[in-house]
Amino acid sequence: MLRLEGAAVEIAGAPVLRGVSLQVPPGGRVALIGRNGAGKTTTLRALMGLLPLQAGRLVLDGQEAGEVPAHHRARLGIGYAPEERKLFGSFTVQDNLLLPAQVLSLPKAEVSRRLDAVYALLPELKDFAPRKAAGLSGGQGKMVALGRALMVGTRAVLLDEPFQGLAPALALRYAEALARLRAALPDVAILITESSPDLLRALVDTTIQIERGEISAA
Amino acid sequence: MAWLSENGILVGLALLDGLSYAAAVFMVAVGLNLVFGVLRVLNVAHGSLYAIGGYAAASLGLFAASLGAPPWLGLPILLAASVLVGALLGPVIERLLLRRMQDREPVLQLLVTFALFMILEDLQKLVWGVQPVVFDAPLKWLGTVDVPFGTDVIPFTAYQLYVLPGVALATLAILAYVLRYTLTGRMVVAVTVDREAARAMGIDAAKVTMLTFTVGAALAALGGALAAPTVSLVPGVGASTIVLSFAVVATAGLGQIEGAAVAALLIGLGRSFAVYVAPEFEVVVPYAIMVAVLLFRPQGLFGVAETRRI
Repeated sequence: MLRLEGAAVEIAGAPVLRGVSLQVPPGGRVALIGRNGAGKTTTLRALMGLLPLQAGRLVLDGQEAGEVPAHHRARLGIGYAPEERKLFGSFTVQDNLLLPAQVLSLPKAEVSRRLDAVYALLPELKDFAPRKAAGLSGGQGKMVALGRALMVGTRAVLLDEPFQGLAPALALRYAEALARLRAALPDVAILITESSPDLLRALVDTTIQIERGEISAA
Repeated sequence: MAWLSENGILVGLALLDGLSYAAAVFMVAVGLNLVFGVLRVLNVAHGSLYAIGGYAAASLGLFAASLGAPPWLGLPILLAASVLVGALLGPVIERLLLRRMQDREPVLQLLVTFALFMILEDLQKLVWGVQPVVFDAPLKWLGTVDVPFGTDVIPFTAYQLYVLPGVALATLAILAYVLRYTLTGRMVVAVTVDREAARAMGIDAAKVTMLTFTVGAALAALGGALAAPTVSLVPGVGASTIVLSFAVVATAGLGQIEGAAVAALLIGLGRSFAVYVAPEFEVVVPYAIMVAVLLFRPQGLFGVAETRRI
């Protein structure tokens, strides 16, 4: 269970989140919907520890996680796919996927088990595994970012506007991949942000709205 | 052609001098480049580390010699002194100063590192005085080599011919290998490309930054230590080096390791040709090269506009 309670976050002194509470149960698929600037990305960055909580708490499976430094959140089992993909362009696709698992110094066997699982879920990644990430299209990059988040997201996976800027055909494939995740990862809590609820309707079980840094409808 | 046959030796000397000079400048520039990559702070005080590396190496070498150490020991002493300077000053400067400046305005960062540069410059005068310090034991011990050049033979010190370029090439190879093929290197690249994404991948960016800064500081000190036997150390040596390595980094493009080597060579050779052919232009030539490159390629010779490569 990933639970955020009354989270307040400021960026450069301006309040961006004002008491955001949400929760994603294990196996839950929650959509966080809001306009640009509503606080979707900020919520995910706060969940990743990239922005400090001014108030409120983050609880992951009953453990307080609000004070855990950003670089330890992957170790807690939270995977994150930022909106801008943020792949490392000079690395191959496979090295991008491997990086977070290697940083955690997971045993080799476990790393390759996870890599195989990601390739099984997202078979197209295998096709461009040896390519440099810089050469990917935006849509392909989003797929890789999803795969990379899955490499360490054993408890929770946070996807920031995965459909933003995807060509229709790719968006369809991405949605299919998300649907496959449901069966393949029954214990992982998945939180997806999007500006419009339409794309996610069939993929999630809960939709919450965020507006000007506050949850407006759950 | 007539000029060349008359001045063949000059050309040969300029080539050899340029090569050894480029080697020392490369060490400083590549460290500056690494540090800028992870910290995004242009560290003016990087030049002080070059000077302190040189002075520390000379002091340690002279001290060892006074105890009757054999002359060959001078070479490992140069290396040891730079590791010492990097390991002692690197973490202190990074943690106490640069880390706090990371998210500030670039102008403020420049001012603060410039202030640090002035402080270190004074400290250096306090410790080593203003009289030239000379430690040329390694240079003398290795002797000279007769380098055939066309019909001429140029006597050149073995130290400048082999040791300086050799260490620079080894540094280039090791850095390129580490950054590309080791996990630590990939973590450095990841922090350079995107600090926040790197942290989200589980990378301790603060630790990586301190490590990189320490390595960069040690490389600057090594540049100074290696150059020490070839020059007499005087106040101001740090200033001229930092300005020159800025020129190298700008010419190469930020984030370029191999590019820094090529740019160092270009600028080193340009400068030494000026010294032999038109000494009045010695100071101008490196910057003329930089300006010429930046006019046509603002991102530098090897810089990639969007994705950085290290």
